[in-house]
Formats: sequence, structure tokens, C-alpha cells
Amino acid sequence: MTEKAILYDATLCTGCRGCQVACKSWNGLSGETTTNRGSYENPPSLSSDTWLKIGFAETDHGGKPGWLFTRQACMHCTGAVCLEVCPTKAVYRNANGFVSYDRDLCSGCGYCTDFCPFRAPQGDRNVLTGNARMDKCTMCTSPGSDRIGDGELPACVKTCPTGALVFGDRDRLVSDGKARVSSLAANGSPDAYLYGEKEMRGLHVLYVLGDRPAAYGLPENPEAPPLVLAWKDIVQPLGWFVGAATLLGLSMNYIVARANVKKEE
Amino acid sequence: MQGRTKTDSEELLKYRTQTRVLHWVHSAAFVLLFFTGLVLFVPPLGFLAEDGYTRLIHRIAAVLFVVAPLVYIPLNWKSSLQGMKKAFRWGVDDIGWLRTAPGYYFLGHETGMPPQDDMNTGQKMWWLLVIIFGVVFVISGLIMWVFKTAAPSLLLQWAVFAHDVSFIVTGAMFFVHIYLGVLHPLMRSKTQKTAWDAMISGRVSAEYARSHHGKWYQEMQRRG
Repeated sequence: MTEKAILYDATLCTGCRGCQVACKSWNGLSGETTTNRGSYENPPSLSSDTWLKIGFAETDHGGKPGWLFTRQACMHCTGAVCLEVCPTKAVYRNANGFVSYDRDLCSGCGYCTDFCPFRAPQGDRNVLTGNARMDKCTMCTSPGSDRIGDGELPACVKTCPTGALVFGDRDRLVSDGKARVSSLAANGSPDAYLYGEKEMRGLHVLYVLGDRPAAYGLPENPEAPPLVLAWKDIVQPLGWFVGAATLLGLSMNYIVARANVKKEE
Repeated sequence: MQGRTKTDSEELLKYRTQTRVLHWVHSAAFVLLFFTGLVLFVPPLGFLAEDGYTRLIHRIAAVLFVVAPLVYIPLNWKSSLQGMKKAFRWGVDDIGWLRTAPGYYFLGHETGMPPQDDMNTGQKMWWLLVIIFGVVFVISGLIMWVFKTAAPSLLLQWAVFAHDVSFIVTGAMFFVHIYLGVLHPLMRSKTQKTAWDAMISGRVSAEYARSHHGKWYQEMQRRG
């Protein structure tokens, strides 16, 4: 199957949050009680009940206040760290390149949250018992409610009234995004940028941005934390080796020592 | 009583009841922690962690692991402090032990080893690891337990890393500890009470004390 993606054009987004509502509606997620924090952005962060939200970055538009809207959800990275650190293999990649998960396999360890450069996976955690289950956007491919498998658009894309969200083949969306960025650059947005073409070896959510990623609150150069490499690729294999070598060494010692002790007797 | 020589049939008290109880409570907690942690460490065992029951057991054991020494230390403040100081006190006899240990443990050569204190150099190394990595375990574990939702990602990443390194070091040495205490052919004496008995009944044979913990034996003699 071909790699699919979402192209999100932040310059077309009006912050209506229809996507946010459609996501909750399709995935059966409840609303959250929040308090006024002095921002229209609501809820303040992703959670196990909010897999997608629109960020409202406040900016200065030549003396006038303005907003830069950002879609915040799982980016479905090609170099997904969550996939690598999940000890129960609850996280998996599906045929379209999206990162999905089997909730029944989740142990609640939270490594995916801790190591995700976007902190997208979120758990509903009981701090005392540590009981938790991770949740995040599956690009509407959750078993039993798989819109993509049924040839439908993701709920957020389906509901977007301005065309800021487009779903399709990733290759085509990358070229569409590039064309859009060059037209923005030629029309007074010199910092326009296609986010997600190369980040994390390619995201499956591409962003047409009118400004630098940081202005939208996106990490400029997201990458797998160096500790993932040290931990998963060096220390853990070393640990298996040390464990095996110890048991082997002790067995050898037993054989040699028993023979020698018997001899002395 | 000074100068009284203990005959070989006599026994010496090596570990008091409280110390033995601490040892076994702590080891039980460690074994639980070891296996419930192992399931996140070895990929083919990952399925055992599904549903998170192992993580709940891990927490219950962690409480035991922390509370046991926290109860013991204030009740035995002086001896605890002395014991911990010993872990950091190293001398010529330790080098001598390291030099003669391979001959002893592999070939059964029981001569040439410098007299040892109540902990020999090997036991002291393990004791030092227990203290250092025990602290690392508890700090990194507390971060992951209590501050999981509040701490910055980088701190949580370091906590996982530190917890894993401690697991590898103490996990591997744990087997060495059991092996040398119980399974090694020289430790399985039919006539003497040795290291294993020291942790069960608290007492060792005077002969074993003299040959394996010479310094400690002399000290006991002096004290009468």
C-alpha cells in the first residue's frame, strides 16, 4: 500500500476546531473540564481524551495581536521513537505508514510519552498505582473504527471547512506542500516552510507554515533523544550480554571448582 | 574473659536477628523487583507486562525495598554507619584477596589469602554496589513513579537510563552473590557453619570464622 499523509496548511486554518470536535466524536472521547487560563487555546494540552487539538500561538502582527494556528497531534514519524521504546510492542506501524497501537497490549510504562519529541502519546495515569494506558491519534485506523481501511477520510480532514487539511498519497502531498510554500515565499512570507518532509525521517503529517516552526510552537529540529540510542542500542544489548556472560561464567566456575575440590578431598 | 580461645566446635554470632530480617526482606523485595523489571527489559517477555500488573507488584516491592532499611537504620544507627563506612574502606589486604581469589574459587587453594574482616573483599564489593545502586535505583524510581506526569522529558529519560544501568549491574552481581553464598562447592560444607548459616541462624563455626574472616575472628577473641 502507498504511504498516506495529511497535509495541514496552517495559513488556511481559521482555528475553528472542527477537527478537534470531529476527532472526539469519531473516537468516542469525552470532553474535558478546563479553567480559563487567559487563552482561547483549549484544552491546554493533549491528553488521553484529546488526541488532536489546535494550538493558538499569539503573535505580533505589526502592532496588532494575531494568532498562528497549529495542528497538534501524533505526527506519525517515519523514525518513530515510541515504536522503538515500547517494551510490549503495543505500538506498531500500519500499511499506510501510520503509527497505531493496540491498547490491550499497553503496560502503561509511559516510555512513549517520555521519549516522543512531540510528547504526543498521553496516558490516563493513576499516580499511586502507576496504572495507565497510552492513547494517541491513530489517523482513524483504530481497529473497529478504521475509516482509512473503509476508504473514508480521517474525521478531522472530513470536517475541515477551509481545506486546511488534505488527505492523500504522501509523495503527492509533499510536492503540493512545496508548491504552496514557494508561492507563500513569493508573496511576503520569506520564512514559509514545509515541516515534516525531512523531520524525524519524514512525518506523515506535513505542515505548510507561513513562519519558522518555532513561531508555531513546533520543535525546530525534532530528533530521537540521544538517550534512546545509548539506552536501546548500547546499554540494553550490553545488559543481555553481561547477564548471559555472568551465568556462563558461574557455570564454568562450578564445573572447574567442583572437580578441584573433589581432587583435594 | 580476655585471651580465651574458642575451640573449633564453638560458634560465633555473625548477624543479629534484625540484620537477618532486613537481609531477607530486602532480598525478597529485590527478587520481586528483578522479575517484574525484567519483563520490560527482555523483549520476548514483554507480553507479561501487558495490563500493567507487573508494574503494580513492582511498586509494592519498591515500598518494601525502601521502607526496610529506613526502619532498620535508625534502630541500628551506630552499626549501620560503621557498616556503610566499611564499604568505602579499602586496603592492602583487599588487593591480596583479589590476587588470591581466582585460585581459591576455581582451584580450591585455601592458603595464601590475607586475613579478612567480617566482610571479605568480594562481599565488600557487593555491599558497595548495593549501597551505590540502591540509591540510584530509589532516586530514579521515585522520579518515574511520583513525577511521571510533572517532570520534564529529559529527566524521565535519564531516570529510565539510570534504572536500567543499575538493573544490569546489580542483576548480574545478584547471581554472583547467590552463587558464592550458596552454590559454590567450597561453600557447601557439611561440617562447618558458613556464609549461608550466617544469614539463616546468624551463627558461623569458629573454624570457618578463623580461616575466612581472620581479622574479625581476632577482634571477637579480643572482645571475648
